[in-house]
Amino acid sequence: MSHLLDWILWMPALGLLGVLLIPKDKVTFIRFWTLANTLVTFILTILLYSNFDSEVAGIQERFYVAIPWIQQFNIYYRLGVDGIALPMIILTGMLFFICVLSSWSISKSVKAYFALFLMLETSVMGVFLSLDFFLFYVFWEVMLIPMFFLIGIWGGENKEYAAVKFFLYTFAGSVLMLVGLIALYFASGQNEDSFNIIALQGGHFTDMTVNLFGSQWSFAHLFFVLMFIGFAIKVPIFPFHTWLPHAHVQAPTAVSVILAGVLLKMGTYGFLRISFPIFPEAAVYFRQWIAVLGLVNVIYGAFCAMAQSDVKKLVAYSSVSHMGFVMLGLSAMTVQGTNGAVLQMFNHGTSTAMMFLLIGILYERSHHRWIVKPDGTKGFSGLYTQLPIYSIVFIIAMFASMGLPGLSGFISEALIFLGIYKEFTTITVLALLGLLIGAAYLLWMFKRMFFGEVLDEEKKYTDMNMREVFYMAPLCIAVIVFGIFPAPILNIMKASVGGLVSLMAKYH
Amino acid sequence: MTNTLGMNYLASLSRFVPEVLASITMLGLLVIEASFSNRSKQIKARVVYGFATTGLVVTILALVENLQLPTSQIFYGSISIDTFSSSMKLIATISTLGVIYLSSFSKEIYSFLKTEFVVMAIGVLIGCMLLASANNFLTLYLGVETLSILSYVLASFKKVDERSNEAGLKYVLYGGFTAGIMLFGISHIFGVVGSIGYAEVAAKLGLMGNMDKLILIPSFILFFAGLGYKISCVPFHMWTPDVYEGSPTPVTAFFSLVPKFGGLVALMKISILIGVGQNVVSITWIGLLSLVAALTMSVGNISALGQKSVKRMLAYSSIAHAGNMILAIVVLKDGLNALVFYAITYTLMTLVAFYIVSIIHDKYGSDHFDRFNGLITRNPAMAIAFTIILFSLAGLPPFGGFIAKFNIISIIVKKSYYTLAVIAVLNSVISLYYYLRLVRLMIFKQSEDISEISGFNFSRQTVVAMMTLTVVILGLFWNNLFDYLSRTVASY
Repeated sequence: MSHLLDWILWMPALGLLGVLLIPKDKVTFIRFWTLANTLVTFILTILLYSNFDSEVAGIQERFYVAIPWIQQFNIYYRLGVDGIALPMIILTGMLFFICVLSSWSISKSVKAYFALFLMLETSVMGVFLSLDFFLFYVFWEVMLIPMFFLIGIWGGENKEYAAVKFFLYTFAGSVLMLVGLIALYFASGQNEDSFNIIALQGGHFTDMTVNLFGSQWSFAHLFFVLMFIGFAIKVPIFPFHTWLPHAHVQAPTAVSVILAGVLLKMGTYGFLRISFPIFPEAAVYFRQWIAVLGLVNVIYGAFCAMAQSDVKKLVAYSSVSHMGFVMLGLSAMTVQGTNGAVLQMFNHGTSTAMMFLLIGILYERSHHRWIVKPDGTKGFSGLYTQLPIYSIVFIIAMFASMGLPGLSGFISEALIFLGIYKEFTTITVLALLGLLIGAAYLLWMFKRMFFGEVLDEEKKYTDMNMREVFYMAPLCIAVIVFGIFPAPILNIMKASVGGLVSLMAKYH
Repeated sequence: MTNTLGMNYLASLSRFVPEVLASITMLGLLVIEASFSNRSKQIKARVVYGFATTGLVVTILALVENLQLPTSQIFYGSISIDTFSSSMKLIATISTLGVIYLSSFSKEIYSFLKTEFVVMAIGVLIGCMLLASANNFLTLYLGVETLSILSYVLASFKKVDERSNEAGLKYVLYGGFTAGIMLFGISHIFGVVGSIGYAEVAAKLGLMGNMDKLILIPSFILFFAGLGYKISCVPFHMWTPDVYEGSPTPVTAFFSLVPKFGGLVALMKISILIGVGQNVVSITWIGLLSLVAALTMSVGNISALGQKSVKRMLAYSSIAHAGNMILAIVVLKDGLNALVFYAITYTLMTLVAFYIVSIIHDKYGSDHFDRFNGLITRNPAMAIAFTIILFSLAGLPPFGGFIAKFNIISIIVKKSYYTLAVIAVLNSVISLYYYLRLVRLMIFKQSEDISEISGFNFSRQTVVAMMTLTVVILGLFWNNLFDYLSRTVASY
């Protein structure tokens, strides 16, 4: 059991080595190898779930690993898991497995594609598993390299621009985080625990000051803001979101899914794991600004989504809007709010993954994504009659993302609103408006695409095949089951979220 | 600190072995060059390169020997042999060896001039060693001049090429001018303090009042011009792009390594002496260095953005890297190991980058960005190695370049230079943009020309692969090297 986290982290890397050894032209073998590898990783994450003790708050002793890496700087190879990381790890395991299935139709340099894909999985797992700030940073950065190539080689028409923009934006954010993590290291006394994220937590830096430009600044406030920018770019929070529509639209389907499903959560996970617990006082100090930014995300993202005529771009902007809800939940700093935020991270991961996968399935048939083509004619119409199974799955995904009761999105959004209502009433009311706009753009899109006359070119579209049904099924089940019965996820994160909230409550 | 060797010439020589060995190698090469007839070119080339390599390897061994010994001042205190300068000399010698290897296959160095190139390069190396070990301003000046005069010849090495001649001329004019300014600064320092020894100047400076010190500030700034010119930091960088672009590729590689290292060591040593404490000279000096570092990084990176020639892009990026290394000087002694670590990774990365640029240049006669289109399909090994090196230059983990930057940024953050740290990291974002441009062309673009790249044979692949692998290993397991540097170099 004590090496389970090592296995989860390095399993994809082992798979990567395997892929490199397989000759380039054995395409099917590479696909099956990667599929088997991601399946094993997924099973390992389930194993982690079944051995997880949901009563323990914070990091679970039984999985904890710490090996010295760079003694000079007290850098450790330190892995651990708590109730906040676990849902993300399971989500990662599941989505990568599904994405391999959805990447079956990739035919351009298959070997390189799956090699980079597995490299991406290791680095994403590394971000969620590492408890050493330096290690966290390394994984956080390494992740950019496969993403850059995955978007840039296998993406759409404007892929290079999107890949470079994504890379530069995220890199700019993370280097600011680098300054922050080094400052933390020296501020905490350069000892054994100075890169230990868990030991840094608890507000040790509240009273420290920094001399900058001749005046005294609060250390915590200064570096909270610096790191906030780093994580905000990843989430992305307005006004740092401009990379997202490009990256999402240009990326190949599977990469869009990973980007929206997992990578955006790394930003909010950064708040939960690093910014908030390390600088609780600063987080409380800035929380109304975080709430305002969250609100801007919700409303602005929704309006942007409404204006889109490219359905993938519409879903991309809907992610901006939904990540705004997560930020709102985090800014509440109450039990319901934080629970809702973590649950929303998981639920948005499943529902938005479904949307992107469905758009990918449609794109393979139509080779365009226009709701309304640039020349003003209809891009899609009457898909419901032409593709019945597809339409049913689409309805489930759409309603889950809209937050309809009975599907997963509802519970998390309800929890967020319950949590934040007492704290910021005006913002809550305005954010509810965002929910309404959300319903509007999704339903309007659905009406335009699925109802009406079937277009001539749509006659040749075939419905979802067995492979597609097979990989959509687990997501459908997750969306429905967690919509009715969210307890399995809420239970595992309950204790850890409680610990975080009680820490924040000290500074209220 | 010092021992009695200072007074004894013969005993002094025992610590001066690396310089002597390098000089013997250089002179031996001249004899070899003269003793071969024109008919046996192949054999001559082998003998020349064999002799040069052996000579430099022995020099490296002597330097390693010197690394183990305590600091000593030799030749009446005019030269100081210490771990810091020895380690930087070691890196400079390895760089020279790397560049000599590059010159052996580069078509830009005419085959009848290869021996001359090696001789000049080793001469510059000797100048660099002198500059690094200098313990008074006159020896420093001697080092700068030895280094410069031979560099002027190197810059105009492609003698039938106009651009190379222009590069040489520009280098001479700028170099002569800044050397004059520096000498003027030194003479002014001598006039005020009455001594040219580093230690004496620092000691006298300590006894002076703040108002008296004020008079020295212009002299130190004038002096800084000369060193700044060698390091090519802003605002003394104007010559760099033209000279780097006009010179043959091996020379450019050489210029972005060896002279910089010499200048940086001298700058560090002088900064340690005059930058300590809280007085008008030290505050001005550190302020000046911070400003120069920030400007050098920013101007270098911003100018690199719009370049069309890869060599020119690397030239500007080498200015930016010099800025990073000056950051380590801002924190004085604490930056010693970070500076040496940076120099090591920077050497490896620069050499690989120039190897590849040179091979491409030899194939197409140009190093325009377009020549790198679709390199991944034409020569995957080369493209992957270059991609790793470019990412490392930008400072992405898990490569050595990241650790080098991490070490420097961590030391400046430790000393609470937060603004400088933020400028430094944002600069690596800018640099990532132009490095990515090249990666993008190599990997995303299709090339019209699908012919093989012949110059990249097995031995060159091995060298590039070994160096790239070292860069990766330095990014993952840097504990031992950094630990070693902290123990030896930081004790300077």
